[in-house]
Amino acid sequence: MVYPACYAFYLSFTRTKGLSTRWIWFENYTRLAADPVVHQVFLNNVKFLVSVPMVIAVALVTAVLLFEKIRGWRFFRVVFFIPNVLSAAVIGLLFRTVFGYNGLVNGLLGTFGAEPVEFLTKGKWAMGIIILALVWSGFGYQTLLLLSGLTAIPTAIYEAAILDGATWWQRLWRITLPNIRQTLGFVFIINVIYTFTALFGFVFVITAGGPGYDTTTIDYLVYLRAFSGSQMGSGAALAVVLFVIVGILTLIQARVFGLNGKDAV
Amino acid sequence: MENTLSRPVRGVVFCALLLTAISIIYPIAFIFLTASRPEMDYMKNPFGWPGEFTFDNFVTVWNGYGVGKAFLNSLVTVSIATVVMLSLAVLAAYGIAKYDVPFSRLITGTFVSVMLLPAQVLVIPLYLLLSKVNLVGELPGLGAVFVATSMPFSVFFLITTFRSVPTEVMEAAKLDGAGFLRTLVSVVLPMGTSGVATVGLLGFLAMWNELLFSFILIPDDSKRMLTAALASIGSRYEIDQTLVASGLLISASVPIILLFFASRYIMKGLTAGYSR
Repeated sequence: MVYPACYAFYLSFTRTKGLSTRWIWFENYTRLAADPVVHQVFLNNVKFLVSVPMVIAVALVTAVLLFEKIRGWRFFRVVFFIPNVLSAAVIGLLFRTVFGYNGLVNGLLGTFGAEPVEFLTKGKWAMGIIILALVWSGFGYQTLLLLSGLTAIPTAIYEAAILDGATWWQRLWRITLPNIRQTLGFVFIINVIYTFTALFGFVFVITAGGPGYDTTTIDYLVYLRAFSGSQMGSGAALAVVLFVIVGILTLIQARVFGLNGKDAV
Repeated sequence: MENTLSRPVRGVVFCALLLTAISIIYPIAFIFLTASRPEMDYMKNPFGWPGEFTFDNFVTVWNGYGVGKAFLNSLVTVSIATVVMLSLAVLAAYGIAKYDVPFSRLITGTFVSVMLLPAQVLVIPLYLLLSKVNLVGELPGLGAVFVATSMPFSVFFLITTFRSVPTEVMEAAKLDGAGFLRTLVSVVLPMGTSGVATVGLLGFLAMWNELLFSFILIPDDSKRMLTAALASIGSRYEIDQTLVASGLLISASVPIILLFFASRYIMKGLTAGYSR
């Protein structure tokens, strides 16, 4: 695993033509930096970050509510988790079917007399659909993480607050949320990382990066460059950039939340 | 319990949660109904209750679109990879957790840091490496990649599991004349069953659902894994909705069944990833 990573690093400084590999120093990187497609794709990734607050908001609300032990909460917990065990291919295809021109949503719109919308061939809509898929498939897991943060809050604090006559809302703002600050931060960072590394499946299946490059993300562009366009070096350089981004995010996570390898040992 | 939410509020909250649950169950149920009716019947009224039920769509995608073969490819490759991964991970984790292995800190540190490598970084070099040993397009090659990529988390998780096995029990076993493997198989493994089950299930699910490696490392249509086959069916042909739906169900069935029978283990494993 370490060797392939170093190999990728090496490749990013080369250009492969057929069987011969030539060392070209930073040319791959300078080309990437000047490439308008790369700029657009980076911007797309930034746009996809919108999904992060959405996932967290939905997950936080569900977690707090499930924590109240609403009737049937165990059932809900499992159901919310279903999308998490499904492959991105399945979810992507599901969304393609549901939002396709003749799909479920357009059918429902039709019954209200509305015109069908070309969800997947219009850039803005298509991105919205992918974000929706991301939220739909991801919030169950985040809910679970937040729930485990909630259960770690000592009940004594709540009992004391109740004795002091705190209302439910006061307890939510003053006790619950401050106490899961760490968990929230962790969930935030991993979601940011997801938008950089986990979109390949959705993009690949739902829109194939189109229309144009409107929904192409960095991880999808790595695939396009390296395997569709057979520019291994360029793909590798992009992958290294991606790795650096993820690495920085992880370092921030470790710094801010005191989670690192040493704790594990 | 007057200090929690009032009754009407709880009612509203319940309804909201129910709606969310429906947003998850309804599309799946819709797919299920779509898959089990003839195309003609679907075209007449896609949203109504099917006029007749049929199993033909499943048979068609299974035989006609290579889904059956892909299903078996996935099942065999993923099962074998899971077993291999588990045996290696158990040995590694047990050694690190309970014995003084030289450089164990370094090894664990490496495991933790490679967990963070995105698959996109690995796929290019892995493709080139496998092509050097002629394993591109071969299921064992993919299986090996699966084993390698799922090892770090598994070892990491199992180390914590095995740490909790009291050393006294192991020493007792040693006094009774049990060797390294004997202690592992008869004493440590039974005590860590739930941890091993968790890791196995998560590994299986992750490999079953994996798309990037299984798509790129197996370019040959006849050896496709299920997710990859499904993805290319969806993007290459505009085929009947009923057939797509059956393909989806076939592929989703395994994870959903696993979730309902073993949700406890799966959820436990996933939240443990957080506590690191």
